Amino acid sequence: MSSTPTQPDLVHLTIDGVAVEVPKGTLIVEAAKTVKQEIPVYCYHPKLGPAGLCRVCLVEVEGMPKLQIGCNTPVSDGMVVHTQNAKVDTGRSMILELLLVNHPLDCPICDKGGECDLQDYAMAYGRGSSDVADAKTSKPKGVDLGPTIVLDEERCVVCQRCVRFDDIIAQENQLVLKDRGARDIIATATGEPYRHNFTGNVTEICPVGALTSKTYRFKSRPWDLQRTQTSCTQCAVGCQQMVDVRSGTPLRTMSVESDDAISDGWLCDRGRYNIGFYASPERITQPLYRKDGEFHQIGWDDAFSLWAKAIKSSIAANGAASVGAIGGGRLTNEEAFFLQYLFRALGVENLDWRAGTQRQAGPGASGGTYAELERADAIVIAGESPAERAPVMDLRIRKAVARNGATLIRIAPAEGTPNVACIDVATVAQAIEAMPSGAKRVALVWDGVDLQLGAELAKAASGWAGLRTYVTGEQANARGAETMGMLPREGAMDTLAMFAAAREGRLDVLSLFGVNPVLHASDAAPTRAALERIPFLVVSDLFMTETAAMATLVLPAKGAFEKGGTTTNLTGDVLPVNQSLQAPESALSDFEMLIGLAQHFDEVALPTSEELDERVIGLCAKPPVADGFGAGRYASAAPSRPAPRPSDGLAVVVHSAVFAGGGTSAHDERIASLRPLPHASLGAQDAALYGLQSGDRIDLECDGVLLRDMVVAVRPGMRPGIVALTGGLPGRAANSLSAGARARVVNVRKAAAPVGV
Amino acid sequence: MPVTKVLTAGIGEVDLRDFTVYRDRGGYKQWERAVRELQPAQVLELADRSGLRGRGGAGFPTGKKWSFLPNDNKPRYLVCNCDEAEPGTFKDHMLLEQTPHLVLEGILLGAYGIASHHAFIYIRGEFKRGFEIFSKALDEARAAGLLGKNIFGTGYDLEVTVHRGAGAYICGEETGLLNSLEGKRGEPRLKPPFPAIAGLYGMPTVVNNVETLAYLVPILEKGAEWFAAVGTERSKGYKIISISGHVRKPGNYEVALGTTVRELIEIAGGLREGRTLKAVQPGGGSSACIFDEHLDWPYDYESMAKAGSMLGSGAFVVFDDTTDFVKCAFNLVRFFAHESCGQCTPCREGGHWLETVLHRFVEGRGLRSDLEMIRRVSSTITGLNLCALGDSIEPFLKSVINRFPEQFEARIDARSLQQNGSPAMAASAR
Repeated sequence: MSSTPTQPDLVHLTIDGVAVEVPKGTLIVEAAKTVKQEIPVYCYHPKLGPAGLCRVCLVEVEGMPKLQIGCNTPVSDGMVVHTQNAKVDTGRSMILELLLVNHPLDCPICDKGGECDLQDYAMAYGRGSSDVADAKTSKPKGVDLGPTIVLDEERCVVCQRCVRFDDIIAQENQLVLKDRGARDIIATATGEPYRHNFTGNVTEICPVGALTSKTYRFKSRPWDLQRTQTSCTQCAVGCQQMVDVRSGTPLRTMSVESDDAISDGWLCDRGRYNIGFYASPERITQPLYRKDGEFHQIGWDDAFSLWAKAIKSSIAANGAASVGAIGGGRLTNEEAFFLQYLFRALGVENLDWRAGTQRQAGPGASGGTYAELERADAIVIAGESPAERAPVMDLRIRKAVARNGATLIRIAPAEGTPNVACIDVATVAQAIEAMPSGAKRVALVWDGVDLQLGAELAKAASGWAGLRTYVTGEQANARGAETMGMLPREGAMDTLAMFAAAREGRLDVLSLFGVNPVLHASDAAPTRAALERIPFLVVSDLFMTETAAMATLVLPAKGAFEKGGTTTNLTGDVLPVNQSLQAPESALSDFEMLIGLAQHFDEVALPTSEELDERVIGLCAKPPVADGFGAGRYASAAPSRPAPRPSDGLAVVVHSAVFAGGGTSAHDERIASLRPLPHASLGAQDAALYGLQSGDRIDLECDGVLLRDMVVAVRPGMRPGIVALTGGLPGRAANSLSAGARARVVNVRKAAAPVGV
Repeated sequence: MPVTKVLTAGIGEVDLRDFTVYRDRGGYKQWERAVRELQPAQVLELADRSGLRGRGGAGFPTGKKWSFLPNDNKPRYLVCNCDEAEPGTFKDHMLLEQTPHLVLEGILLGAYGIASHHAFIYIRGEFKRGFEIFSKALDEARAAGLLGKNIFGTGYDLEVTVHRGAGAYICGEETGLLNSLEGKRGEPRLKPPFPAIAGLYGMPTVVNNVETLAYLVPILEKGAEWFAAVGTERSKGYKIISISGHVRKPGNYEVALGTTVRELIEIAGGLREGRTLKAVQPGGGSSACIFDEHLDWPYDYESMAKAGSMLGSGAFVVFDDTTDFVKCAFNLVRFFAHESCGQCTPCREGGHWLETVLHRFVEGRGLRSDLEMIRRVSSTITGLNLCALGDSIEPFLKSVINRFPEQFEARIDARSLQQNGSPAMAASAR
């Protein structure tokens, strides 16, 4: 090479006769992409790095006697690389011939057919004929690897992407390569089912049809699928995903490899698999009106006029303060904006998005990005575990800790991030003490529930360097709803105040949009009591939820795949929600419902769609809400996690779990297996007191309610006197516990040996 | 050229396993001298100047290997490779069982030479006896203050850890060994990085063979020049040769490198009465055969390479005219296919395929087209593998197919000779 590098960190080389300039350390396989030359790979994956196993990425490097693997050979100055020549072709075709020696060639019944790298490369680089004269080896087929995945070992090319994903990305280390030589197989190390929150990713990175999703087996060919990119709205992370629909049914979702900023190219199993509910026969298909204690199907025109009439007469009789609306966290930004726009136009100021335990969605002025979370050198988790609230974000935390050496500090009773080293502490003061003195980039992750804790954290965090804050929360668009104005202004009632007013008979009409406070509020009994007293309760939802069952008017809503708009994730990115499905005929989006309602109020000037977009964009573009944890607008809100009553027994804290199966996922039995076992987590001190170890099964008696068969998990850092229960599991008594409940251990079944749970 | 006694001195005459016996014969004197009087760099310099090359198989210059360690203030480790599993090799466990203190002294010197404070010995799982003997020797040496903290009051610390493998050939490959030592699946690592940069627990590491390290003791005692004075130009010093196969007195013989192939056969008692030599596999199961025309060639690294083979670990297997080379080839390919870790495609699939086809030959069911396929596949996979195991399949196979094609052709199913069309059709016609 005659040219001298212009920058010291750039390397000049020639690939297939084309001069290339790439950063030092670039691998040939990546450098070749700059000249649009694809080097075939099986084991290499940009997110997993080189493994050097499949040997299909062979290239010739002039001056080196043997063919080199493009995936583990970094470029060097003056290197001359050939990705296409006779020598390379011979090597590659040999590898493909070998991979096919024992491959079953069952492409006609293989889910991967049509999007299989073995098919594609065999066509591109294979010989097209075979010298194999002997029977192929037989290996296990249709292996039930776990609740989500089926393994066909005969199709496996042993690239170990799945094994390395489990090790490097998920940090779960469940999958391993067992046995050796041509007999080797993929299996879980322990023989237990393959089960964690991210298993579905292995079906995507599997280059062949060895690992397939149970929900997608034998369902479709890729060319029959209609693909739409959208944002996952099952939690607030905002992962980009592809929705693949065939004949009006969503068959699968796939990650978006280029989504580095948010999902890093991965999906959690809830986001991936919880799509069956769209086609559930349990969906509400028609507006329902309660008359004489019974629901009757009515048309939309009647529904709108009943709804409008109720609001009008209530305002006329008792003023706008007797009307309220709650929702927005599960709506699009446009819907949330229009929701508050319409009600405020009617003079109604009792507006709130908060329907569960979460009280705050904005991260304050120091809100960070996921990339910054990954680069943090110390991470503090307070409140519920991001593993449950924001699973794909938790992968960043695992990466930061396991790969970048960050210190993880967990304030009890937070459930942990699995499999990564963690310092368990009981109080914020101890977290301050545990903070490494040299920490320069501290990330603080909070669930937005306990505002008192939030304020404490904010105080502690003021002394931490390079602070970035995150609020994981419960609802996908909580931050968007806040930004759109779905918070009460000075003098108006928030959700808890509205419920209190309702209990006193001061709230006449309450409209709920995509929220289910009966299941999700921290205190079930008073919530139920409040809703029972409301004369006209309107609930828009996909299903007859616990809350909808109490309504006067139930409105069938569209799900996220069935409408368009934008959503704001927990880091403040405004993301597209694109329609990929047709909704059941009579369902309307919340936006369409609000328009229908607005038609009955002549005095309300509706914005044009351009104006609406402009307003939404304008609000999104505003700097993030500067109110810190538990401060500003949030400070006055009532504490939502009441202090335990001082009496005998353990104070109960109920954790909601993303995978617990509440909400939409309750309506797809195929993913029921993803639900966690009902855990009862205790500190080490209490575990010793009750003689319990992890894995024991206990029954708890809580204020007269018997909670059966909880699995004990001993969490060393948890404060004494507290038991944390998994909430949200359908049909579990833990969901209906009142705040401040006390639990007594009544029955113990010992595990044979302590197990990690 | 006669058999010499350097490492093997005293074996069979006195009980060198006895700590006192070993010490009385001057044992651990070199260790004490090195720690008291020499700098690690001087030990390295001696090893380098002696021309000592790795006795495990690759023949890499020992001093040079040590010099690759970076000066990065990280902990560095010496690992003694006693996984000896190359077919035909049986010298290391002989040293381990017969003269464990010499092996240990070699390890101590090697560790000192690279300024390491922790050495490991990885002993093949099957060597239970050797493991027990060596462990006892280690305990005795530790009790005598020869290792541990502040050795000989010099402030130098060195610990030695014994680890037993579980009997996988691939764990003799240095990075497979390191994985196994770390408690991971015993499979080779992708290189680079090489162990000298990131080896055991990610730290700079030297992996040396038992015999290599043991030669450090006489080299320190008698000097680099003494060692370099024997052998050939680039193959210096002595080597224990494991001679087996069709000879009357198979066994381990220590000789100067450069002893001729003919002499080695004679040292081992020569061929059986009335038999003639067909081939010699001079460097273990991974090496190609040499033949009559090489009888007077010197047995050293360069000559064996020039003859199309290698000296390897010094496993010297003699084949006379009773040999069934089809069976031999099948046996070795089956070994490699069985021992393949299965990580990389060419070794996993190629080894298995060749084994399957050769099995048919053993049973007299070869196909005419198979011979071409065996040549093509075995030669194409060579050089494509992640480690050397896959590259070990071809050499013996190719050398005997080329030399004794009639033995393979005789195993071709006569019916396949009339077959046209694809091999699959021919096979299904059986």
